[in-house]
Amino acid sequence: MMKQKALYLFVLIALLASACSGGGAGEPAIVRVGWAGSPDTLNPGMAILTEAYTVFELVYDSMYDLNLDGSFTLSLAESANVSEDGTVWTFKIRDGLKWHDGQPLTAEDIAWTYNLYKDTPEYPYLNGYYTTYFDTIEATENNEVILTLTEAIPNIESQLVFLYVLPKHVWEGVNKLEYENTEMIGSGPFKMAEYVQNEFVRLTANKEHFSTPPKVDEVIFQTFENQDALVQAIKTGQVDMVTEMPNTAAESLKAEENIDLVVGAPLSPGVTDIIFNQVDPENCPAEGGLCTGHPALRDRNVRLAMAHATDKQKLIDVILLGLGNPGLTLIPDGLGVWYNDSLADYEFDTAKANQILDDAGYVDADGDGIRDMPDGSRPLTFRLNWPSDSLTAPRMSELLAEMWGAIGISLEPQAVDPDALTAQCCPAFDFDIMIWGWASDPDPSALLYVYTSEAVPTGSSETGYSNPKYDELYSQQQVELNFEARKEIVWEMQKIVHDDVVYIIPFYDANVQAFRTDRFTGWITDQAKVELSDVTSLVVIEPVK
Amino acid sequence: MDRTRAILRKAAWSVFTIFFVIILNFFLFRVLPGDPARAGIRDPRLNKDAIEALRVRFGLDKPVINCFETLNPVEFGSCTVNPMETQFFIYVRNLLQGEMGYSYHTNRPVVDILGERLWNTVLLIGAGQILSIIFGVTLGIFAAWRARTKVDYTAVGASLVAWSLPTFWLAILLLFWGSTIGLPVAGKATPGMSSYPLLQQWGDIARHMLLPTLTYTIVYMGEYTLIMRSSLLDVLSEDYILTAKAKGLNTVQILRDHALKNAMLPLVTVIAINLGFTVAGVIQIESVFSWPGLGSAIYEAVVRRDFPMLQGAFLLIAVTVILANLLADLTYNYLDPRVRVE
Repeated sequence: MMKQKALYLFVLIALLASACSGGGAGEPAIVRVGWAGSPDTLNPGMAILTEAYTVFELVYDSMYDLNLDGSFTLSLAESANVSEDGTVWTFKIRDGLKWHDGQPLTAEDIAWTYNLYKDTPEYPYLNGYYTTYFDTIEATENNEVILTLTEAIPNIESQLVFLYVLPKHVWEGVNKLEYENTEMIGSGPFKMAEYVQNEFVRLTANKEHFSTPPKVDEVIFQTFENQDALVQAIKTGQVDMVTEMPNTAAESLKAEENIDLVVGAPLSPGVTDIIFNQVDPENCPAEGGLCTGHPALRDRNVRLAMAHATDKQKLIDVILLGLGNPGLTLIPDGLGVWYNDSLADYEFDTAKANQILDDAGYVDADGDGIRDMPDGSRPLTFRLNWPSDSLTAPRMSELLAEMWGAIGISLEPQAVDPDALTAQCCPAFDFDIMIWGWASDPDPSALLYVYTSEAVPTGSSETGYSNPKYDELYSQQQVELNFEARKEIVWEMQKIVHDDVVYIIPFYDANVQAFRTDRFTGWITDQAKVELSDVTSLVVIEPVK
Repeated sequence: MDRTRAILRKAAWSVFTIFFVIILNFFLFRVLPGDPARAGIRDPRLNKDAIEALRVRFGLDKPVINCFETLNPVEFGSCTVNPMETQFFIYVRNLLQGEMGYSYHTNRPVVDILGERLWNTVLLIGAGQILSIIFGVTLGIFAAWRARTKVDYTAVGASLVAWSLPTFWLAILLLFWGSTIGLPVAGKATPGMSSYPLLQQWGDIARHMLLPTLTYTIVYMGEYTLIMRSSLLDVLSEDYILTAKAKGLNTVQILRDHALKNAMLPLVTVIAINLGFTVAGVIQIESVFSWPGLGSAIYEAVVRRDFPMLQGAFLLIAVTVILANLLADLTYNYLDPRVRVE
């Protein structure tokens, strides 16, 4: 009896000892990242949230890697050749590639994956947008992928970069819509170790990765629903890096000895936009169009005057606490070469704005302090709406009411549920002015589309802007294979919409991130785009010795 | 005999209420403006075909119910469609088979998500309720026994303050304080703990539970103290207590054998009802401490117009509240012969 008890005690002690011995020699280097979200799903076809794409970037490989300067480099393929007419691409896949489960990764997997994306209409992005030009995809015996396009396009890299390559041997037998993919067999620099939705994602290093084996052993992304907790967690060292934080916390973090703050354009550069409903009643979409916009907003003079009356620097200082850049068009500065930096913005000049409105005949006819239409029919009183989940829009609406009040324009501000706002927006055009925003694709084409006439009935156009010259340039840039020539067109398009004052872009959104300097070194912080949770940083950082 | 009938009648009402909730749940969310196939996605990369494919996948292409294509805006549709091909009857049929469908947002079965989240919430509420009952009742008894002394005033004052504190504010204060003494401020467990022995895993969860449970306990303890005190004071003024004192019984005997049984009655009701409501009601604590419970899941589902998730969660809450009420009724019935229904 006594012996038995002693045995139990011994086992217990041994268990405790073994549990505690984890902290001994050769402690694994674990990077703890705090973020405010969680992936919606790990099934690449069904995912929508940025957090999911962050995980895909780390666990999967694709044909190209996206660099922080906006350029692309070949990843799974060692060479890419295109036929004379630009429609047939041949990718020679590297030899000796392996999936995380040890199976070989070949051209067969890639071709199978591309066909999966092409043939699954329920995959909103991967099918709906990135495989639009795919005709056929085949794998050859020489470990090559032959991709035939329906027409030659200039931006094949940006089309392929999000098409994460999946293992055929895993995905063949599953329901491609309902598969949760929590095991997530990939080939990328990190392996999925453990995933608990809305709690954390734990990844371990794939030290055998063919191009970028990580130097750390593990990366953990932990979800913080509360941003104050996130800030507190990095201050107390519970996490080593935070991917987002309220701008109000920036000052207090800057003051911390062991924390560095980085500010730059996000990986998916975003814009905040002030949208003018300028749809021509003749272009009002037949299906669902209401087109109740104020007629004055169809006049460029009014929009121009409002642009001159908008003090963007003040908006940035007050709303973003200075952490942001003034904007020009929907193409953000984070897109690098595609951003037309030669455009001069409308200077902030209230007197000039008043002059423009006076000259155009918008005078205050009834003496109530608000200008009226030239024919006196109605005052320049605009509805101003924004999605109720926006943290910055309420403050912005107050500032805009003040700035535009100075030129005799009054506003009726109202926050609206985001879904209801979508219904009001497009293609209904049942509003005057809205504050909203976009996130950009690496290729400018997606956001340039928003200005086209073609987008008016589809719900992508928020302004109802229509300009045949612009539409023509849009079609041209889509098929212009010469990079320089395409860039010229894209710049020209930005000039057109800037001249027409289609939007006022108060600022481009900045990514504010912070990391602890006493834990890991080597974070990539000197690029136009800043994304510490991107593979570019996570494979190069090393523990501080 | 009568008692059995009364209980049966109450149970029957509960079943009827649940049935009503099932129907209401379906229409409630569909009256909201907006399209779940587009909720949260505003992107020029999303074309019409993709949205249509999602609508087909979610079954949103089918008419809501006979004669109505959609509920918002109300459009009249064909009345001759097969009822079994309408969203409403598909929903009812699936529910009867225990199917709550797939969450639009996370692409997972709603039953799975609710199961995980409910367990986390119950863990948090369970610990919080037990602690707040123990401390609340003790403090209440103490305050009542020492009524109108400094002890009493302090207890009542503190309870009033605790009960009326904004929960999220208290939670944030405790979060800042806790983080400085090294307590974890987010989540249910340290990532990577699952490979450790069970004992250590539980210890880790307990550490994570400390701050949220403390918040919960402080808030609810105040409520229980006040109710316990006033109820006990009521009982202590009864003649039979005077008799008990006259008989020369000591304090413990009076409280234990004569006063407490009766004084517990109102508290039982409040606790039972609280149990029902708090399943959904600890959302503030959950979101401050990133506790992966039901409350935050519901919040996200509302934002994303995740109909199956909302229907499932609301049904769960409704059933909990109804059952908790039934339980309160029955307990009361048992404890207090005076309220027994004829």
